[in-house]
This record gives sequence, C-alpha cells and structure tokens, in this order.
Amino acid sequence: MFIINCPFCGEREQSEFKAGGEAHIIRPKQPTELSDDQWAEYLFMRKNIKGIQFERWNHAHGCRKWFNLVRDTSNDEIKAVYKMGEKPPIK
Amino acid sequence: MLSYNQALKGKKIFQDLQMEEIKPIMKLIIRGKKREFISAVGKSLNILLPTESNTSTQSDKLTALWLSPDEWMLFSNETVREDSNHYEIKELLSNKISIKNLGAITDVTDQFVMIELKGNKIYELFQTGSPFNFNDFQNKKGAVTQTILNKIDIIVHNLDKNVANLFVRRSFSQHLFSWMNDAASRL
Amino acid sequence: MTKNLRVKTGKAIDETYRISFKFNGSTYYGFKGDTLASALLANDIHLVGRSFKYHRPRGIMTAGSEEPNAIVQLHDNSSRTEPNVRATEVEIYEGLEASSQNCWPSVNFDVGGINNFLSPLLPAGFYYKTFMWPASFWEKYEYFIRKSAGLGKSPTKPDPDIYEHKYIHCDVLVIGAGISGIMAAKIAAKNNLKTLLVDEKPNLGGSTIYQNSDHFKINNQNSGSWVEKEINEIKKLENLEIKTRTTVVAYHGYNFLLARQNLTDHLPIEQRKNKTRHRLLKIRAKKVITATGSIERPMIFDNNDRPGILLSSAIKKYADYFGIACGEKNILFTNNDSAYETAISLIEKGINIEAIIDNREEINSKLIYEVEKNNIKIFKGYTIIDTSGYKRINKISIMQLSKDGQKVVGSKINLSCDCLGISGGWTPAVHLFTQSGGKLRFREEDQVFIPNTYPSDQLSIGACNGNLTLDEILRTTPESLIKFLNVKSSDYDNLEVLSEANKFKRNIWLLPSNKVLGKTKSFVDYQNDATSKDIKLALREGFRSIEHVKRYTTTGMGTDQGKLGNMHALGIISETTGTKMGELGTTTFRPPYTPLTFGTIVGRNVGEYFDVIRKTPLHDWHIDNNAEFENVGQWKRAWYYPRNTEDMHQAVQRESKAARASAGILDASTLGKIDIQGTDASEFLNRVYTNAWSKLAIGKCKYGLMLNEDGMVYDDGVTTRLGENHYIMTTTTGGAANVMSKLEDYLQTEWPELDVYLTSVTDHYATISVCGSNSKKIISKIITDVDFSDESFPHMSFKNVKIGKISCRIMRISFTGELSYEINVQANYGKSVWEKCMEAGKEFNITPYGTETMHLLRAEKGFIIVGQDTDATMTPIDLQMDWIVSKKKYDFIGKRSLYRSDTIREDRKQLVGLLTDNPDEVLEEGAQIVGDIKKSPIEMLGHVTSSYFSPNLRKSIALGVVKGGKNMMGQKLTIPMEKKNINVTVSDPVFLDKENKKLNA
Repeated sequence: MFIINCPFCGEREQSEFKAGGEAHIIRPKQPTELSDDQWAEYLFMRKNIKGIQFERWNHAHGCRKWFNLVRDTSNDEIKAVYKMGEKPPIK
Repeated sequence: MLSYNQALKGKKIFQDLQMEEIKPIMKLIIRGKKREFISAVGKSLNILLPTESNTSTQSDKLTALWLSPDEWMLFSNETVREDSNHYEIKELLSNKISIKNLGAITDVTDQFVMIELKGNKIYELFQTGSPFNFNDFQNKKGAVTQTILNKIDIIVHNLDKNVANLFVRRSFSQHLFSWMNDAASRL
Repeated sequence: MTKNLRVKTGKAIDETYRISFKFNGSTYYGFKGDTLASALLANDIHLVGRSFKYHRPRGIMTAGSEEPNAIVQLHDNSSRTEPNVRATEVEIYEGLEASSQNCWPSVNFDVGGINNFLSPLLPAGFYYKTFMWPASFWEKYEYFIRKSAGLGKSPTKPDPDIYEHKYIHCDVLVIGAGISGIMAAKIAAKNNLKTLLVDEKPNLGGSTIYQNSDHFKINNQNSGSWVEKEINEIKKLENLEIKTRTTVVAYHGYNFLLARQNLTDHLPIEQRKNKTRHRLLKIRAKKVITATGSIERPMIFDNNDRPGILLSSAIKKYADYFGIACGEKNILFTNNDSAYETAISLIEKGINIEAIIDNREEINSKLIYEVEKNNIKIFKGYTIIDTSGYKRINKISIMQLSKDGQKVVGSKINLSCDCLGISGGWTPAVHLFTQSGGKLRFREEDQVFIPNTYPSDQLSIGACNGNLTLDEILRTTPESLIKFLNVKSSDYDNLEVLSEANKFKRNIWLLPSNKVLGKTKSFVDYQNDATSKDIKLALREGFRSIEHVKRYTTTGMGTDQGKLGNMHALGIISETTGTKMGELGTTTFRPPYTPLTFGTIVGRNVGEYFDVIRKTPLHDWHIDNNAEFENVGQWKRAWYYPRNTEDMHQAVQRESKAARASAGILDASTLGKIDIQGTDASEFLNRVYTNAWSKLAIGKCKYGLMLNEDGMVYDDGVTTRLGENHYIMTTTTGGAANVMSKLEDYLQTEWPELDVYLTSVTDHYATISVCGSNSKKIISKIITDVDFSDESFPHMSFKNVKIGKISCRIMRISFTGELSYEINVQANYGKSVWEKCMEAGKEFNITPYGTETMHLLRAEKGFIIVGQDTDATMTPIDLQMDWIVSKKKYDFIGKRSLYRSDTIREDRKQLVGLLTDNPDEVLEEGAQIVGDIKKSPIEMLGHVTSSYFSPNLRKSIALGVVKGGKNMMGQKLTIPMEKKNINVTVSDPVFLDKENKKLNA
C-alpha cells in the first residue's frame, strides 16, 4: 500500500484514496461534432504501460479533492503529485 | 411538540478513557473559494477561518475546522436548545454569504454526531482501526484530520491534551460507537 | 518408559515451575520456558510426525520457525484446534494437548507408511501423470486425492478467541533482536528516533544470548554476557518499544509491514479469558532494519530425514538454552566450523559425542583443536552415504570423498548413534528483504544469496546480510547503521572482538553416494517429500524454470515454504543444468513468512463487526414494531412488518393494499441527499441530468435521470429547487456516495469554472413518506397552518413548514403513483414525527410498509429501480424513457453516446412489461426470456428484472428487458423454468393508473 502525499492534506495511507484512472484526458468541448470513432477514443481508450504513468486520484476519505500523480508502474514509486489544472512536473 | 432523539445514549467509561455524544451541537458546513468569503465569515462571526491544512480556530462561541481548501466545519462550543432548530448563526451567514453569492452555508447539525473522548488512551483506541499517523497529531492542540476508523469516515479534532472530538455521520454512529466500546474494553 | 535427558539447567528454563502436557494422549512434563519440541526431546521423543507423501517417520529437526517436520495439531476436537503448528515454536503451558498429524491410526503405526514402499511408483508429477485419463474419471479420483491431501485438520466450530489489528507508525522498525538488531535498536532509539524492535522468540538476544564459549568474545566478555548487558540497557530506552513473540510475516512496498503479535498462546487456557489472542500489527516505518539472521542448511544424502537427525545448531540450542541432550550417542556431520561450536557446548555439558564427520580434508581452526583435545574422533574428508533406523536413527555409513567431491572412494565405515547433527553452513534469511522487492546477488565464495539493491528506505544487517561470523557482524554493522540512520557515532565504534571460527566451507549441494541416484532417498524438501531424484527427474522431463520445477516437484510448497531445502534444490538444478546460481535466481518469497491463523487476518471484522452497518433515525421504531430488515448496501432497511403469523408474502400483500386503499408510511431516510448551492447550480444540473432544469420554478420538484459518459443510466431521483441558486438533489440509496463523488469529479476537473458547492446531507434528515388516498388528511392533522389544496400545494412542489418549533420541509412527490407527501425533518426529530404520523393516521389504518412493498407499488406503476431494472447497459431510450432526454440541450453527460452506432441499434434489450397467461403465476426475477422454444439453439432474448403478485390488480406483473422489446407489444414469449415453460405476453410497463389520476386523488 502506497503512502500518497495529498497536495492539500499531506502524507496519508492509500486506503484514504480512490484511484481515478489515467490523467489529462480532457472531455471534448463539443462532443456532438465528433465522429463515433473520435468519441470512442475519448470514452474508452486508456494507456496501461510499464513505466511512468500519469494518474488521477481522489482523497476520498479526506479532503475529497482530486489531484494528479506520476507513478512508475514498474516499482510503484510515486514521482510527484500535483493539483488539477497544473502541468505535470515530470515529462 | 416533537421530542428529541439523540443517536448515542449514555456515557461510556473505561479505565483511562471516557466517551459520550455531546448534543445538540449546531454544525454547519461552509464553503467558499473567494477571499471575500473568508473575510465576510470573519467579520460576521469574529472568527478567523483556518487556512492552514489540518488545523482549527476557535472563538468564544464557535470552532472552525479546516476540511479542505474551500470547506470548513463550524460548530458551536456550547450545546444549543433541543426544542428548536433555528440557529441564529446560520441565519446570519445565510444573509452575509449565501444571499451575496460568496459561498455556501449548509446545516449539518444532525448529519454529524459529535463524540467527546477524554483520557490518555484516545489515540491507542484510534490505532486499533485507523491508518492515520497520530504520532505528531496527538501533541498538537487544535489539530484536525479527516480519516478512517473501522472503515468509517471520521473527523478528529484534538481539543486539548487527552480530550478530542470525533465527528461521524449519524447513520454510522451507532455501529462505530459500538465498535469503539468493544475496542476500548481491551485497551 | 521414557528417559529424562535434561542434563543441566538451561538458560531459558525455570526448573522450579513444572508443567504437564499431553502429546498423542500421554502425559509428559516439562518446565516453564520449554517449547513443545524441547520438552519432548527432554523426554527422549524424536518421532513426532509422518511425512506428507511417503508417510515416513519424522522427528524434530530444528529449534525455530524454519521447522519442516515437527508440525502438530493442537487441541484436537475442540473449537481451539489448530493444525500445522510448529512444535519448535509452541511454548508449553498447563493443559497443552498436541498430537501428530498425517498419520493413522497413530504416529507409531501409520497405515499410510505403505507409500514409503510404493515410492518407486510415486515419482514427481505422479498425480499429473496418473489421473489424466480417462478424463471422465476425475470425479472419482478427486474423492480419494482430496482425502489424502492436506496436513492436519481444520476446526469445525467458530473460533472463540479475540483477534485485533493495530496500526503502528514509527521512525525505525528493527526486525530481529539478535546481536545486530539489538545494536541497531540502541543506536536508533538513542538518536531520538521512535523505534520498534520485534522478535519472533519470547526472549531477546537471538543465538548470541546462549554463547558462552571462550572462542567468541566482545570487549573481553563472552558474547552471551555482552549481549545480555546490552539487552538490559535497551530495555530502559524511552524511544524504544520492544515486542517479543512478534513475527513480521509480510514486507510490502512503502515500508508497510505486517506482523503477528502472539499475546496469549503461551498462557494456560484459563488465563486467556477476555484477552486478545493475536494482534496483527500494520506497521508503517520510515526506515526498516532487517536483522533476521540466518538459517542453518541441512545436507543432502541418502536417508537424511530420520528421526534423530537435527540441525547441528538446534542440538546446540537445546543443550545451551534448554539443558537437553538430544541423544546419548551423538554424531555431527559438517562442511564448516559451526558443528565444532556445537561439539564444544556438548563437551562442556558432559554430553557424549561419538564422532564428527567433516567433509573438509585439511582444516585449521582453534575450535577443531579444542574438540580434538577432548579425544573426539574426527573423520576428515568423509561424507555420510546412508543412515538406518526406522523410527529413530541408529547407524550411519560413511565413506571418503574424492578430491573433487563428486564421488566416494575407499571402504564403507559404519558408526552407531542415536542422534545426528548436520551442518551445511548458513543461509541468510532474506525472505522479508525479497518480499519488499529487494534484489539478491549470489556470493560465489560461500554460495549464499545476499541483499544487493534495496527498493525502499531499508537496510539488512548481520547474518541476513551475509555477515555470518561474529567479527564480520561487529566490524561492519555499526558503521553501516551510522550511515543509514544518519547519526554521528554509536556505542559500538571501538569494540574488541575475538572470533575464532574458520570461515572455510566445502559446499556440495548433493553429496555423492555409493548407490545410483535412483536408489536413494535424499530429501531436499522434508515436508513435501521432494528428493534430489525428483528434481533431476523434472529436469530430465524438460522443466527448466525454477518456478516450474518447484511446482512440478512441490519443492518449497509446504507450510514451511522450504526454508531449509530450497537452496539445495537450486544448487542441484544449477549443477545439473550447468547454469550459474546467480543467473538461475531464486523462487519468489511470498508472505506470510510463517503461517497466520484466519482469526489474525480477520481481526475484529467478525460477527456484528463483519461489515459496517448504517441505521436510519427510525431504526429503533422498526425494531420495536417487528420489522424484518433488508441489507441495502451498508444500510439496514425495514423490509416488511409481519403481523402475528404472517409470512413475507402475506405481509407485503397486506401492506400494498393498505397503502393504496387508505394510507401507508415508509422510512425513506436512506435516499442520498445532496445540497447544491452556487450561482451556476442550474447550469450544473443541466449538464448532469438528461432533462432541462433552468426553467424549474423555485418551490418545484423534478425527476431527473443521470447517465454515465457512455450513455448508460447511472442514477435517478427527484431534485427540488429551494431558491434561486439552491437545490436539494436526492439519489438512490445505493448510489449516493458514487453520485456525490462523480459530481465532485466533474466540478473539480472538467468544469472548475462553475460556481457550485455540493454538500452531502443524507444523514441530516429523516425522510418519511406518507402515501395513499388519505395521506393529505393525515398530514394536515399534524401541520395545521398550511394550505394543502392542489392549487396551493400541487404535485411536484414543496413547502417549508413547522411542526411545533421545528422547521422541516414537505415535498409532494410520489414513488408509488398514489398521492403522497415526503417529510424531511432533522434526524433527531425524525422518530417523533413518524410517531405523530402514526397517531394521526390511526383512524385511517395507516400501515407502515417496507422496501418490498415499495418495490411492488412502484412496479405496478412501471417506475424503474436503477440497479434492479437497469444494469450498466441500459440507455434511457432502452428504458422507453425518451421523454426525459432533452433534445434541445447542447450537451449533458452521456449525450453523445446516445447516438453511437451501438446505442441506436433497434435490437438492444429494452424494458417492457410482462403478463403471464396464468394471472396467478409469479415469475422468478432473473429468469431467462426466450422466443421460439422449438428453435435450436434457443435464442435468448432477455431476462425478468422485477416480478410481483399485485394485490391491487389481482394478477402477476413483471418487468423485463427483451431484445427489440419496444416493438413486440402483445407478442407471446416463453420463460423456460426447470419444471415447465411459462407463457407471457409483452405489455406496457405501466400496469396501473396510466393517466395519473391517483396522484391527485
């Protein structure tokens, strides 16, 4: 179980959080103008890589804020956490 | 007249630990992001909302707990009347905050049950069911945390050495209190 | 008649405190401080069990948690019975009862022993090979295999003991309180770090505590006394917490470790009352220091498993620590100097040693000189080739090793003995290190795996780090601790150490024999009866990966996880295949290090604490009024209220009739309630619901359907506009938390520009729904100053009212199709309001009804329940609810998905009503719906989602989802059941009052 450094509350045990999948997938502003394929790309397609992954997490049992984190899925090391709307501190 | 039914009956006394529900305590969730929101609350109630995470502030009548960057719990330091649910402070804030669209004021008086714990085994009890690290917390007067106890969301407020308030949603409160009593009986 | 082999008072034993215990039905005596193993050995009992596959007699082999053979059943035929307990770890107490496992009728005469003689027929993979064909026979085979599989018996009664969990956060966790761990704990605690020191044994000091040899000294004291002095010092340290009888069983990422603290297993049963038996410690440590020591290796030769064969270090411990001679004619067999330490201990206690067999030829060591001085015969350059003695070793045969160690030469010498100590050198206990994700490296010079790279902030020290002698430990440990803990100095910076063992080891994984391998039984895994022959067979049959060889031969798959023999298995594979050990790697070390009872894992999550329970403010009233409860998520909801001898069906029929005929009352407090405020609240609702919200007048309510982005129905409920920028949303009971979380997600991540605040108020209100034609009369008796006329208070509107001095809110909304009012009052007044309704409704026969009746009433009206009539594949169109999907709104969650090629298919499953040809026949929910029954294969069209007998319509009604059902109105379908086929007709899902006359009755 990870220790996650909530950008608002500080270090907490993973059990206080919920994972929310891949980060930086932006909801299209004009969904009606997208083809089925384009919409499916937004709706269904997610990365699942070994290595550096950008993820959304929610401090569900704490401040209830969503934030992003960068995790190396090969060893579960969390490289950085950052607030929604901020640019990832790591490429 | 309507009669009042509190969630948790009676005071539980163990060696080095006591716990009971304190009622009725007026409780509000207040939310806002703007700077004017914090100053309007401050001016109206003569209390400075805590902006540092995991902390609280107190005035004569009220305590404010930091819950998130735009959310606080405000509760009365003294119990209020059982035969009325009209709270002047809520009224005042509605006028100064809600109507002016500075933020949101929500009455959660009965949403949360406040359990007061006293004694030097408070944190030993929490350790049996909470993943939160209370090592520093227990020495910090006024510290606040939202975490889990026996799989249930709680808010803990360190009032003073060997005194803490625990807030839990009413529907969970009887189960949690029973569990706390069970755990406390073996401390 | 058993002998007493207690030769001297051991360090751990209190001889003034005698304890009686039972083993296999006979009573024996031991002393306080004894383990079951030491007490049995003191009574000259070696034979304690039978091996798993061949049922060979087996004896106590070790003195620790690595024990493969001496595993026993405790307290047979009681609720406290426990299988697979290591006799070497059980501390005896008055009343202890233990028995041997895997033998019948007794350990001395075991019918299964026949397997030993059949062993040529039971090679590795025997089960895989034999029970393959014919496939249809598997069920018959399985019965016999299951019967002979598994060790010990599991309890059949509930566990009477209490188990707990505890979270611990510390700066430094030290695992193992041997000499290295003690030094680490002292340095950490003295430098102001909150430190926890744990050890699996009841006492501190590891193996050093009983060293009193003149060959091993620290600052001119023997090492045992030095450690004892250190222990007394650390016990006084303020920052240090010490937990004994505490085994770290798992080491996960982020320095999260699980440890079992054993609190009462050593106490007489009557002293355990109301005490926690085991505590599972969930430890988060900033830094972890692993000081788990090492485990002595056995040696692999023919018949190396007989009772009376022990690890040499175990013989030493039993002598030094418990004052016991494991035998009267002892022989030691070694490839290193450790056996001579044992010999010196035995000599000092007057225990007879017949001979020492050392596979090294030329050796120089002060330890050996001392042994030789005592006229003990040492066979240098020899190996054991065989042993004999069925239930106790009585003879060994030895031969000289060739120079290269590959074969034996010369003539056979027989030596008689009753105990054989073997020492194959030491294996660092790297189990926890590798569990944490650490990578090992192989040290060729002495053939051991040692820690190489650390995945977290941790350090291995002492023997588990490959420092296998006292001088290595003391020379390297303080320095590495200073660096790791980032401190200036330690108390151990200038120690004087004397350590006189010779480090040379002659490692031969599989010792040669004068017989061909096929004729030998040289055990690698004692518990699972895997021999070197089996491993070689697996390799011949083409298995290469060590993980495959492990599973095929079951090496290392016993309850001991092969703590003794795994290294030899690797060694034999490495030699046979010509692969380097370092490249071969090890099998995965998995938690738990030693087995945990289920009780420990579960903790207090049993009985009433099995799962979290949520109760409404009216819960006590339901209990007082005989309600049966239904679990809805974590909620306990009143299900129905049986009267007298009513069963569920009768109660529900009565409740349903009364609710329509006159008045019913329901506790709806579990519905999720979200307070929504902010200048963009209306816009927000527009985006999250399928219908339009901007024009909803203040004071009005509206039903809304919420979709997922994939267009599927997610939740539904009524939302009320309380003010210009203020709404209160209700959600389904089960969906409340998820809806709140989803809405917050959109607000925080997709639409941060919206000025909207959400606050959950589910628990703030008691929600009481009064329905039926007389509901208005009842409510107006309680609230007298409100105009309840349809003009002033129409359907889908709300009013703020007061009951006494208490403000509350009444909504006129309906989930039953009847005129109904929903009172929302602060939870602590809820019970009182409910009682007032009951009192006011008495003259109208107001009938409390539960969730079952609620489901029936809404089904009559064709209202869906999200999660019952829908799963995550139903769009609003599939539900025939096109009316609720706004065509005008540019966007809302899920809108785009409603016209994907898949969602516009005509033949999707759609919600329809189903009427049985026989009106008394009630369908089963979940039953499959088919078209033409004669067609093969039968086409599955859908399934029944809700089904009831409607007392108000006096017929069976059902809702179901059917492929293309929308266009099948009036069509006949079939529902095949086990005993018959039921014919149904597709109908409108609204069965009652389609014109909504009753809402305004």
